[in-house]
Amino acid sequence: MGYILSEEGSELVATVRDFCEKEVKEQCREFDASGEFPADIVRMGAEMGLSALEVPEQYGGTGIDAVTCAAICEEMARADAGFYTTMSASGLALRPVLIAGSEEQKKWACDVLLEGGQAAFGLTEPMAGSDSSNTKTTADKDGDEYVLNGRKCFITNGGIADFYTIFAMTNKAKGIRGISAFIVPKGTPGLSVGNHENKMGIRTSNTTDVVMEDMRIPQSALLGREGMGFMIAMKTLDMSRAYVGAGAVGIAQRAIDESARYAKQRVTFGSPISGHQAIQFMLADMAIKTETARAMVVQAVQRQEMGLSYATESAIAKCYAGDIAVQVALDAIQILGGYGYSREYPVEKLLRDAKIFQIYEGTNQIQRMVIAKSVLKGK
Amino acid sequence: MEILVCVKQVPDDSVKIGLNSSGQPAVDGVTMVANAFDTYALEMAARLKEANEGTITVVAVGPEKAKDALKSCLAVGASKAYLVSEEGLGDMDSLTTGYVLSKAVAKIEELNGAKFDIVFCGKESTDCTTGMVGPVLAERLGVGCVTGIVDISIKDGGISVKQETEDGYNVVETALPAVVTVNKPEYDPRYPTMKSKMAARKIPIDTITAADLGVEADKTVPAVKVTGLSEPPKKQAGVKINEKTFEDTMAKAMEILKEAKVF
Repeated sequence: MGYILSEEGSELVATVRDFCEKEVKEQCREFDASGEFPADIVRMGAEMGLSALEVPEQYGGTGIDAVTCAAICEEMARADAGFYTTMSASGLALRPVLIAGSEEQKKWACDVLLEGGQAAFGLTEPMAGSDSSNTKTTADKDGDEYVLNGRKCFITNGGIADFYTIFAMTNKAKGIRGISAFIVPKGTPGLSVGNHENKMGIRTSNTTDVVMEDMRIPQSALLGREGMGFMIAMKTLDMSRAYVGAGAVGIAQRAIDESARYAKQRVTFGSPISGHQAIQFMLADMAIKTETARAMVVQAVQRQEMGLSYATESAIAKCYAGDIAVQVALDAIQILGGYGYSREYPVEKLLRDAKIFQIYEGTNQIQRMVIAKSVLKGK
Repeated sequence: MEILVCVKQVPDDSVKIGLNSSGQPAVDGVTMVANAFDTYALEMAARLKEANEGTITVVAVGPEKAKDALKSCLAVGASKAYLVSEEGLGDMDSLTTGYVLSKAVAKIEELNGAKFDIVFCGKESTDCTTGMVGPVLAERLGVGCVTGIVDISIKDGGISVKQETEDGYNVVETALPAVVTVNKPEYDPRYPTMKSKMAARKIPIDTITAADLGVEADKTVPAVKVTGLSEPPKKQAGVKINEKTFEDTMAKAMEILKEAKVF
């Protein structure tokens, strides 16, 4: 694989690969079929610290470098993209706290994840996906409390989170500048969780509605200041996007692994199909796309780590990796032929899992808007 | 409580290993790992330590590369590690390994400034599977030994262990210090965490030489000489019975079993 890792990074990635090979890869095939949540596997992953990769060193985290982190994301997704989604969603929910939270809030949230807890990022609503300015959830000030009302949907870890970062309108008249971010512990009265979504892919991850009905939270639950919510959400997504790309690369890599293995075994016209140029060219194109996506992920996460601008690069990495993951998974199905279409073989799941990478954390149409804006600005 | 776990680095036991052209095990390119039974021993020791406090030291006899196995142990419960360099020790068998380890125990006790209460070994290594190093070590140390244990607890200043036998289980109590060898318990060894893996890298692993141990040359002469290695015979093709009816198939099968004097 195309990452250049330190010795320490290589060891960490190898540790995650070993865990995923033994505990995640095959086990999650069954959870994908049943739609049940793999609670034990998630608990083990969290105990290893895989949901706390974003916790900074000063708050007790590992302080691993960005490329190692991306390689770990890829390993998790290579085994099961739903497992990767569960683990990374906690990091996504932590980022708003790290961006705008007080020391106390940061320490509290980091401790939750370090102790093996999970978290959920609550931005999306039925009428506010790409268009978060249409957020309907409200947070009304009442003395030294906020009262939240509304419904979030498609919330990863919604049913299992120990805390939520919730975005709500504190001032509707101000549009996106009226959105604020809050940190909400599970069990807060007025907070409830809807049904688990029966999804096409990443079926091993938990996705629910999160409902707030007269949910009272103290003023100390506000992240940053009122009106900072949109900025916090956009910065969070900018930061996490490239790692979503790493997850998509993991699916593409798995598609290549499965295709190459099958192609060497399957014999047609007297020789393994890996000997046929038609298959070789498909495998080569799959590798070209995957390595290119991986290189873009590295470019984006390293720019972020070095303090350079990274929003456009992250958008390119996420968009391209998501698109090629779908194409490469489709090619894997074609190489496996009828078996690729069968649920007995692992590649049809890859296509179902890959599709979400063109949708979540900003659709690829939104990514293209971000990229085009940057091109037109001449940046 | 001071605990020592003896660890051997072996070729990955999930890989099928044959013989190379010179008749030796073809282990080139096979990942070297800590012996599975030693990892069970370490997990059992880690649980005992967590329930009773104490420290775990790990030791391996082997080449410099065996430090990798020790490093992996430092990420899952051990806090100190020593490598006894195999340099100058020549070919080793279970007797000489047990002897060298007994000298290492004394040396590490001196370095740590504390006597070991329990020495854990795997019940055998997955490469040589002699199952003798633990008992030999106990004999050399002059302490008691229980082999093939699957559970351990502290009782009246000694230990109570559950020993797995071919017929079932024995519950054995013994005074400390003692050597125990560990079979596969009900639980699996823990995975390292990202943090423990990173912390383990920072722990220095000191190398102890044969000279440091003061081993006596005549005690490192192996009693066992390997005269040859052979692969297990290839599995013979089975007999296919495919009579017209189920009854005929069964009758034929019974006939074959009878001829082979299975009954």
